[in-house]
Amino acid sequence: MDFSAVGAAAAEALTLASFIGIGGGVLLGYVVGVIPGLSRSVAISIAIPMTFYMSPYIAISFLIGLSKGTAAGSAVSAILLNAPGEASSAATALDGYPMAKQGKPKTALQIGLIASVMGDILATIILIFVAIPFARVALMFGPYEMAAILAFALVFIAGLSGGNIFKGLAAGGLGILLGTVGLDNQTGLPRLTFGYTELMDGMPLIAVAIGTLALSEMFVQSEKLRYERGTMSVALKKDDSDRMTWPIFRRILPTILRGTGVGTFVGALPGLGPSVGSFMSYGMAQKAAKEPERFGKGEPKGIAAAESADNAVIPAALIPLFGLGIPGNVSAALLIGAFAIHGITVGPLLLRDNPELLYSIFAGMILASVIMLALGWFGLMFFAQITRVPPHVVIPVVIFFCLAGMMLQGYGTFGLIILMGFALLGYLMKKYDYSFVTFLVAFIITPMLELNLRQSIILSRGNWEILLGRPIAMFFIACTVLALVTLIIRTFRTDKAAAGAPNSE
Amino acid sequence: MKKTFAAILGATMMTAPMAMADDWPTRPLTMVIGFAPGGSTDIQGRVLANVMEEYLGQPVNVVNQPGGGSAVAFTRLKNTEADGNTFLFGGTTALTFTPIITPVEYEIDDFEYLAAVALGQNAIVTSAEQPFSTFDEIIAHGKENQMTYAQQTPLDEAIMRAIAEEEGLDLAIVPTGGGGGMAPLVLGREVDFAYSGGTHAQYTPTGEMVVAAFMSAERSPFYPDTPTLMELGYDYSIEDYRTIIVPQGVPENVKARLLEAAEYASESQAFKDITEGNTFFPVVFIGQEEMEANVRRIRAATEEVMAD
Repeated sequence: MDFSAVGAAAAEALTLASFIGIGGGVLLGYVVGVIPGLSRSVAISIAIPMTFYMSPYIAISFLIGLSKGTAAGSAVSAILLNAPGEASSAATALDGYPMAKQGKPKTALQIGLIASVMGDILATIILIFVAIPFARVALMFGPYEMAAILAFALVFIAGLSGGNIFKGLAAGGLGILLGTVGLDNQTGLPRLTFGYTELMDGMPLIAVAIGTLALSEMFVQSEKLRYERGTMSVALKKDDSDRMTWPIFRRILPTILRGTGVGTFVGALPGLGPSVGSFMSYGMAQKAAKEPERFGKGEPKGIAAAESADNAVIPAALIPLFGLGIPGNVSAALLIGAFAIHGITVGPLLLRDNPELLYSIFAGMILASVIMLALGWFGLMFFAQITRVPPHVVIPVVIFFCLAGMMLQGYGTFGLIILMGFALLGYLMKKYDYSFVTFLVAFIITPMLELNLRQSIILSRGNWEILLGRPIAMFFIACTVLALVTLIIRTFRTDKAAAGAPNSE
Repeated sequence: MKKTFAAILGATMMTAPMAMADDWPTRPLTMVIGFAPGGSTDIQGRVLANVMEEYLGQPVNVVNQPGGGSAVAFTRLKNTEADGNTFLFGGTTALTFTPIITPVEYEIDDFEYLAAVALGQNAIVTSAEQPFSTFDEIIAHGKENQMTYAQQTPLDEAIMRAIAEEEGLDLAIVPTGGGGGMAPLVLGREVDFAYSGGTHAQYTPTGEMVVAAFMSAERSPFYPDTPTLMELGYDYSIEDYRTIIVPQGVPENVKARLLEAAEYASESQAFKDITEGNTFFPVVFIGQEEMEANVRRIRAATEEVMAD
């Protein structure tokens, strides 16, 4: 590591502006996490336009802080409401809610917070030590390797998003089609722009992301509002015996470490989101426990296992992003867009040419964890109150931010029309169970995949044998074929046992 | 939609009293940049805005309007009120080249070219680890071996295709999508040589990349020993001027003030430091008359190259 760069990075991370930016991100993330129905990717897609006026370092740290905040905040509603703020905190509710009902809501929240923060910091440190050597290796990857890895990531993410392979293909195909809109990158001729100058650089990412993720979700939520009325949340009382103690911490520490390991592993693989991580960690903690029957009845280890893994996934998902420039999930894909807005290409060259920026982001991530601990510890009462904000207040506010975020893009009315179109598309996809995750990842990956594939075909002059000298590319092509075959077999087998597959976000 | 945009601008302007002759500007100005933040145009534009602000005594706000290599920004600029309060800073390729291959809604005559303050840099680069480093060596190597070239625009591709045909090279040309995509291909030696619109400034000081030749009309003062394609006997060049551009019809006194501000900026140390020191673009000052002629001359030359 270049230590002068590290020093400079630490100095930048400790300025007032970065405290405000990152702190704001964590706080916003926390609030979003607490509110059930507002998910991480919704928050990121709405927040990207807010970063236009920040420096690249603060912008990215703000967004990562926001991600981290949602993971910690979602535990609050899981514990107090039994309604997880994120799908990934569903495992936290299994023990958190019973514990809260037993009169220990504060202890449960503190366990969740400590597990979150520890999982977070440890996984961030692992990211720093893994991403750097990984990026060095990845520098040797050429277009053949990149095309093969991108194809694999696409199929893998599609597969994990669950459901019918044909619906997956339809969603992915639509994403690929929309990803090809814009000027052809070699001839400069417009493709599918229908004469609109606004589409020359492709479908605006913000419109696609905010539309299919955030705005459509608000439609779904307002529809639900008609049938469901608010649940009762457990209130926090003044009770000195209700707090986390040293013996409890010692008891859950091994669980936290295991959860961090599981979360980091799951996060580093493309497509497996925090939900897989937290449930896998919960299951492993239960298996390893001396009294597994206590799980589900308010066992502190259950909370610790789920929350540590949930939070560890977030920094770990940045390993393929910083190492290869490939997004592991929707949130990471949105980060690629955010980097692009600030004129930065994510990937192995980022570390080489712009190490200060990357080190600053790492420093910012550690800072975010610390801020998260402070906010979560002292703001417990405040966040507990947010669980009581009714959806009919939340939904219009979010819709406002969706539209405002699109207007900031400078596309004018044209942008709003496209945004509405994608909101409708997202709504229909959710309604009829087409994976919008597959759609969105395909949309974001397509330009990269197309470019690398084109380069490979031209450079090889159409000669297949060139792949024989490219073992890494061969390996990923084999993996892609294998994943496709597995998916097809699964679709034909699981007519009865369908569904149940976890979503990657 | 364009109407809305113009209407909003119009409405905001209504509130300010019409600017009188010499006291222009009386309200904050907007500098439009047709690329995303972070690129060389953006970096130069932001410093330029600061320096112009210093001279004009009103804030100059930078607005990025990326898309289609500035085509989006020019389309918008055409439809803004011609009062000089909104102007564009950027290269001229969107006027001299883009309209030839893409249907766009603007033409050269829709704008006025007040002043160029920096010269665009177009180079042919290769990795320092290749067995060749000058353009002649590349050609000599290509006569014996199949070669690969990474393009960034259809224009540099057309030029390189013509040269390959003249010299009898077997050349495969790949797209890169920009300087960020070109660098790993060259450094990883996936391609033999490539076009660079300025990215080389990052990699030549470290000794990883070498400039084999310039596609610009003149040599770069930062690489005095590297010849241009013209000097090597190939009759092609890509010229690009970083220019301050306003819609047609801006009042004479306003244009004069903007021109003065541009001249002031071209002499400012801050602008020189960033433009020459960080991006390796020579700072110049070329007035309106010469720029109007330049834009039309380059357009005609480009049409000729692309027609082949």
